[in-house]
Amino acid sequence: MSRSTNMSAMLKKILVPRWRELTLGVLSLVLFVLVWHGVSWYLHETSSDLTPFVPSPRSVGEALWKSASYLPGLDRYTMWDLTESSLSRVILGFFVALLLAFPLGLLMGGSRIAEYMGKPLVEMFRPIPPLAWVPVFLLAFHAFWGPVAIVFLGAFFPILLNVMFGVKNVDQTLVDAARTLGAKKLDIFVKVVVPSVVPYLMTGVKIGLGVAWMCIVAAEYTGLSGGAGLGYYVMLSGTGGQYSYMYATMIMIGILSILTAGVAGLLEQRFYKWSGMK
Amino acid sequence: MVGDEVSIQMRNLSKSFVKGKRSVIALQGFDIDIMDGEIMCLLGPSGCGKTTVLRIVAGLETPTDGKLLLRGKPITGPGPDRGMVFQEFALFPWRTVRRNIEFGPEVKGDSSEQREQISSRYVELVGLKGFEDAHPKELSGGMKQRVGIARALANDPSVLLMDEPFGSLDAQTRNLMQKELLRIWAATKKTVLFVTHSVDEAVFLADRIVVMTARPGKVREMIEVDLPRPRDRTSKEFISVRGRVLTELDEEFEKARAKELSPD
Repeated sequence: MSRSTNMSAMLKKILVPRWRELTLGVLSLVLFVLVWHGVSWYLHETSSDLTPFVPSPRSVGEALWKSASYLPGLDRYTMWDLTESSLSRVILGFFVALLLAFPLGLLMGGSRIAEYMGKPLVEMFRPIPPLAWVPVFLLAFHAFWGPVAIVFLGAFFPILLNVMFGVKNVDQTLVDAARTLGAKKLDIFVKVVVPSVVPYLMTGVKIGLGVAWMCIVAAEYTGLSGGAGLGYYVMLSGTGGQYSYMYATMIMIGILSILTAGVAGLLEQRFYKWSGMK
Repeated sequence: MVGDEVSIQMRNLSKSFVKGKRSVIALQGFDIDIMDGEIMCLLGPSGCGKTTVLRIVAGLETPTDGKLLLRGKPITGPGPDRGMVFQEFALFPWRTVRRNIEFGPEVKGDSSEQREQISSRYVELVGLKGFEDAHPKELSGGMKQRVGIARALANDPSVLLMDEPFGSLDAQTRNLMQKELLRIWAATKKTVLFVTHSVDEAVFLADRIVVMTARPGKVREMIEVDLPRPRDRTSKEFISVRGRVLTELDEEFEKARAKELSPD
């Protein structure tokens, strides 16, 4: 079989059972654009004061197209540059969060001492919006690592708490079964607890990724030196009255968030398929 | 098939635990000797501590008082010399049939060749050939419990502890699995301690049946089932033993119910 037929067969396998979901998803997007168009047209026809804030879908689409080579108010940068810089910050911050939150979550879920020591800190820092750290982190870690640190804070807690919850929810009969088969503490941890926690970890990862994207926009608000990001340009084009470009950038953030969530979802399905759990 | 040696010796075994503000006595002065190679069934009203006895022998719970010996040595915790089969199967969902069976040998540190040899032997013994690479969710209840039995046997324990292992199976599968258990028992010569709700199951399987009292659980009656195997459920002798066990049990059910209704 040739490579292309193989690919199309694979695509078919993924898409066909989901055609309903896909059609309805596309339909909902089309409806949204139509309503948006209607609102924008109405405001224009009635010469409303709000007209500039709601550019037509068409002008936003044009802005998105043009932004690949040119951004008003930001010389020497294109949408690709902004995407690269924001995406790398999000990925970096997210992975540092994952690497720390996963083992810490396992530890806090598995050990009373770690739980009692960690919980007050978690409960104290978790409700503080990561954005509260923006001024300090930007000064301390500068334009690239500052936003990374803020993304890290945003993604860290959802992963930590979900993993911790997962450890506490491990099926006790499985632990009993392992013990009667001669498993010691370390065996139980590696062979029973960790595999049981993966679905919870994936929930934490998906929530954490969402929060990471929310954080990056705000974290980049003030940062130009060291690489402007999407968040910075939302702010710049918004205050400069370039609303079409502002919305185009927002759409870009949405698309990137969907893509990263999609990658996480694929990894999750891979795991379930490999492990035979679903 | 029953040997002359005592496998498990329980003397004055007691277990109480704290439930809210009250202390509940689950087991009091429980005394039995289980012989090597014997199938012993524990029967009793729910909450009488049948499962507690099993979990204590498994080493998953520690008795509050009393003596518990396996072949003359005290039991201090779980160990591969006692295999346990659970009502809800308790298979590792992310492991295939083969890898579930290999769990015990794996934590013992057997080489992959040894593990493969062991799992192949028990896959064959329990009749799961061709399903080695299936995951538990792909199996029926009866097949899942075959995996559960094979997994417990893979450590070559001297005792098999079974906690209502066929309780969640339909009637046909249940009868089939009882026959299968007897076949496996005859082939492996294990001592079996079997907890059940079903009088029929107990009479079909057991060399001896222990009827337990309502909480706190004690031995009410030890009934020897002196019928040759395979047993015929419709035979006069079978029905007569069944009747005797039922009478004993009914009285305890009544007592348990009366206790439940009376305020304490």
